[in-house]
Amino acid sequence: MSDVMYAGESALEAYGLGMRYRRGWALRDCSFRLPAGRICGLVGPNGAGKTTLLSIAAHVLEPTHGSLSLFGEAPGSVESGRRTAFLAQEKPLFRRFTVAETLRLGRELNPGWDQRAAEDIVRAGNVPFDAKISTLSGGQRTRVAVALAFGKRPDLLLLDEPMSDLDPVVRHEMMGTLLAEASERGTTVLMSTHVLAELENVCDYLVVVSGGGVRLAGDVDDLMSVHTLVTGAREGEGLPAALGHHTLVESRTSGRQFTALIRPEGPVTGPWETDTPNMEELLLAYLRSPDAPPLITPTAQVQGQAFGTGTVAA
Amino acid sequence: MSTFTSTSTGTTSDGGNGTMSATTTKAGRRPRLSGMTWLVWRQHRAGFWAILAAAALSVAWMVYQRGRMTDFLDGFGYPAKNLDEVGAEFQQYHDAFSRVATGLSAIPILLGVFLGAPLLAGDLENGTAKLVAAQSMSRTRWLATKLALAGLVVVVSTGVLSAVFGWWWNPVKSEVTVLDWTSAEAFNNTGPVPVALTLLSVFGGVAIGAVLRRTLMAMVVTFGFTVAVQLVWSYFMLSLGNVITVTTNKGVMDENSFPSLPKAVYQLDESYLTSSGDLLGWSTCSDGATDAARELCLKKADVVGWSVDYLPMSQMNGMQWFGASILFALTAGVAAFLFFWGRKRLV
Repeated sequence: MSDVMYAGESALEAYGLGMRYRRGWALRDCSFRLPAGRICGLVGPNGAGKTTLLSIAAHVLEPTHGSLSLFGEAPGSVESGRRTAFLAQEKPLFRRFTVAETLRLGRELNPGWDQRAAEDIVRAGNVPFDAKISTLSGGQRTRVAVALAFGKRPDLLLLDEPMSDLDPVVRHEMMGTLLAEASERGTTVLMSTHVLAELENVCDYLVVVSGGGVRLAGDVDDLMSVHTLVTGAREGEGLPAALGHHTLVESRTSGRQFTALIRPEGPVTGPWETDTPNMEELLLAYLRSPDAPPLITPTAQVQGQAFGTGTVAA
Repeated sequence: MSTFTSTSTGTTSDGGNGTMSATTTKAGRRPRLSGMTWLVWRQHRAGFWAILAAAALSVAWMVYQRGRMTDFLDGFGYPAKNLDEVGAEFQQYHDAFSRVATGLSAIPILLGVFLGAPLLAGDLENGTAKLVAAQSMSRTRWLATKLALAGLVVVVSTGVLSAVFGWWWNPVKSEVTVLDWTSAEAFNNTGPVPVALTLLSVFGGVAIGAVLRRTLMAMVVTFGFTVAVQLVWSYFMLSLGNVITVTTNKGVMDENSFPSLPKAVYQLDESYLTSSGDLLGWSTCSDGATDAARELCLKKADVVGWSVDYLPMSQMNGMQWFGASILFALTAGVAAFLFFWGRKRLV
């Protein structure tokens, strides 16, 4: 899938996107590209600007700096409004509506509405159609909100912490539904989360925002392949000098051992064990070290964006 | 659940045309709302129905009261017999009138606070504005539909109440003792005025809610706003007419020297007129001990007659429409502000 989509259109492009409130920056100088057809995890610590980014894409907020385009259109346009679905973090629904009425809302307000898809998602959770939204549990409400987002048949699905109030079983099942639907229709998904384990088998694309900017963006396979986890015996303070010419993301010492995540700038030779990191190790390293040099792979770069990371072989 | 009626929502352009796009069901009996109109009606239907039901009840009560009153007046022989002679028997009809008039005067405030203020503030406060914005239709259309439906309910309910109240009042319209046409109870509850006052109060409440984004706070501020509208309106109300001045030249001492005015006029001012056209207060020379002394004093002051300023009742309709058109213009300004504000901040 990714090879076909690689040269294809962008689902989302952000150019120097920034959001400044009176108390400071919520998002700053954020530039990246999300190719169409990907399932992208948007990762970052609390307050990193994930919700701000998604809200700008959903035309809920206007950025103070830079711009963002969805399939080449501005977020407020009729076209992007029709092609995008947004599930806000608080999952707002009309409390006095029944489930059926909530789905009717989707049907009345969206030209491409798919009633069957929406009903199937609701039915899978045994949520009664005549129940009022206010009587549903948090998980059931999330299910209805997800059904409303899916019924719109979007090309880009923006999900802000979608599974945060679901129990593990339901979470797993909903993720399965999401993946099946998305891959069947080629839907692009941009999903924020801080549950790293949730991403491992779901996402094929990653964007890490931290400290208001993009720290990491690109294809998961590309990102994995350019990082190496080095483990070895400690020699005095800090890292062995032989590792110095690689780009260091993070190093930790425990007892007589050190562990370092590096972006090798050549063959890594030395009395160390090298390993490919898993997604959680990679993300944790970047989240723990906000000063690590950012990495944005070529697929994730917008035009005119030049990063000093030319060694990345994508 | 399975009615797959095609969405007859027309274009998704920002035309702002949120009028009824009612389609008929296969049964073809009840008009079926669709699209944004359905959503807005469904969301606010309890409030809308409550307003319409209260209006219908009030209309029924007024029709009943009017029947009782006309029966009494017919039995009494009005208008051949003057109502001044009726005495205490008419008091209960008079009281019914005052009570209803007072209740009707509260409508702009009530609807402003309970319909206008929460209309957008509620959605902004609990996030459902985001839900609607996430659908395919523009938020301008959402705003237009909300304003159109709320406006329609306001116009229908206050319009009917105004017409029926005017109809009730009509037989005794010229009796100042029943209801003075220049009083707020009469002037603000008949013709286009209640519609205009209520629309401005409600749209003002909507705008306050959109800016404050908190329902309770918006309701409190809207209460202040609607009361202020009432105060400003009642202050300027009588300035809407063209004051008519009538003068006489037969002196002021004679009992019949006062100019004869049409029935039910509102007298603004009366004063003495001198031969040079100056006006003197009617208390001039009032401290004269005898009539002769007063006459001498008036002669000295060169008073030749009366000058009386008044508003005739025939101006009432014109004044109401003139005032209402000012209120309608203000309402249109509030609506324009809402659309301008809503383009950026309505989520």
